[in-house]
Amino acid sequence: MTKTFIEKAIDWGRRKSPWIIHFNAGACNGCDIEVVDSLTPRFDVERFGLLQKGTPRHADVLVCTGAVTLQTRDRLKRIYEQMPDPKFVIAVGTCACSGGIFDGCYCVAGGIDAVIPVDVYVPGCAARPEAIIDAVVKLLTALENMQKGTPATPEQDDTADVPALEEIENAVTEASAATAAVSSDNQSADSATTANQGGEE
Amino acid sequence: MVALFNILVFPGFIFLGVYALLFEFLDRRIYARLQNRMGPPWFQPLADFLKLIGKEAVIPAEADKKVFPALPIFALAAVTTAFLYVPIWSGNSLLPFSGDLIVVLYLLTIPTLTFFLAGWYSTSVYATVGSMRALTQLFSYEVPLFMALLAPALLADSWSISGISQFYAAHPLYILINIPAFVVAIVSCQGKLERVPFDMPEAETEIVSGTFVEYSGRFYAVFRMAIDAELVVVAAIIAAIFLPFFTANPVVGFILFVVKTIIILFILAVFRSVMARIRIEQMVKFCWKYLVPLAIIQIIVNILLKGVLPL
Repeated sequence: MTKTFIEKAIDWGRRKSPWIIHFNAGACNGCDIEVVDSLTPRFDVERFGLLQKGTPRHADVLVCTGAVTLQTRDRLKRIYEQMPDPKFVIAVGTCACSGGIFDGCYCVAGGIDAVIPVDVYVPGCAARPEAIIDAVVKLLTALENMQKGTPATPEQDDTADVPALEEIENAVTEASAATAAVSSDNQSADSATTANQGGEE
Repeated sequence: MVALFNILVFPGFIFLGVYALLFEFLDRRIYARLQNRMGPPWFQPLADFLKLIGKEAVIPAEADKKVFPALPIFALAAVTTAFLYVPIWSGNSLLPFSGDLIVVLYLLTIPTLTFFLAGWYSTSVYATVGSMRALTQLFSYEVPLFMALLAPALLADSWSISGISQFYAAHPLYILINIPAFVVAIVSCQGKLERVPFDMPEAETEIVSGTFVEYSGRFYAVFRMAIDAELVVVAAIIAAIFLPFFTANPVVGFILFVVKTIIILFILAVFRSVMARIRIEQMVKFCWKYLVPLAIIQIIVNILLKGVLPL
């Protein structure tokens, strides 16, 4: 089961260029805001080749949020079927993983996996952008293990994606340190003004 | 043998493909840096291309089974043919002939027509709206772009890109006369390349991806390649006409070509990052109200100067 050079190149391309499409299956919009947040320049997911696409025909990864309502069930199924193979699904948020607090509700079909197969679950209410990016990295690591024929066990995932996760965390701490410096300047300016006001009083 | 090498390797198919991928990377990298982020790694366009090649290619049940897969190939073939008439290493292109400027401009219209047909034959509502916009846009940017590129040709008294390039290399100061035409060409070529602020045909936020909504897999990969190659060809034409070569050495000339086209790309990328999308009727109004009169004035000035200046 050796692969030719072209197959290896295509496998490499698949790992390096996950294009996502975002679908709200009935979320409260909390997770959607976090998904959009993780696409902003602050987190810069284009470093991993991630691009947001508008049409399911161009996308590789379906990022789903929210418990599936009976209204969106058929639409979700249809969008999933419109995506060309190979395709992956990430369920973002507690509701998407299991139905969350809406599980068993009269209008809810359940989590995303009640309708379509899910590859990665991201729990959290709402899931943080770091967690969403980590889910994509985990998905790509699992894909790499699958391509190389080794089983995609959770242990291997954890060890393999530590550098990537650290990279993200470092970038985020740097960014927040920069903003903290700016805000501390503002705070000192604020305290100066309050001190002046105190003096006047 | 030499002709086959020229068509397939340099300056034809393979060189254009590699250079187009490099251009897409530079474009996305400059765009990212102007947004204060790192941007994609250097191999990103190649990874995107390989991934799309390996993906399942869906032909919609409603679409035309023969025309739908053929259109991306037409687009790429037209752009690659146009590249053969653009000077790359010196003032001369590979196959210069009198009138190749007109041929290249019409070859570059073919991709836009294939975008229109792609949207039309997809029979998707979004794609149809996108293709109508692509045609409307064609009628507004094409006239100022043609006039802006023909004005320097009038002054140079030559209808071949190589001839124009050699004329301005011999008379460097005459380049300054053509600055308004250069501005018109830069602005209107963004309509041709369907980039922000003129990206209404594939406006992602309103009509999903416009004409390419139904395209997937290798068909979309070839379309993307055609768009990137079109960016290279347009940048090369503008560079050849408005920033000519001053050297006969092929190696130095090639380095100059790279530098000049990257300068043009940088201008286009800065435009893309500082502008927002305008509406289609605003674009038609802008092109016909401001760009066309400016190009007409440039042509009149060039005709008048031709009688006065020593040539």
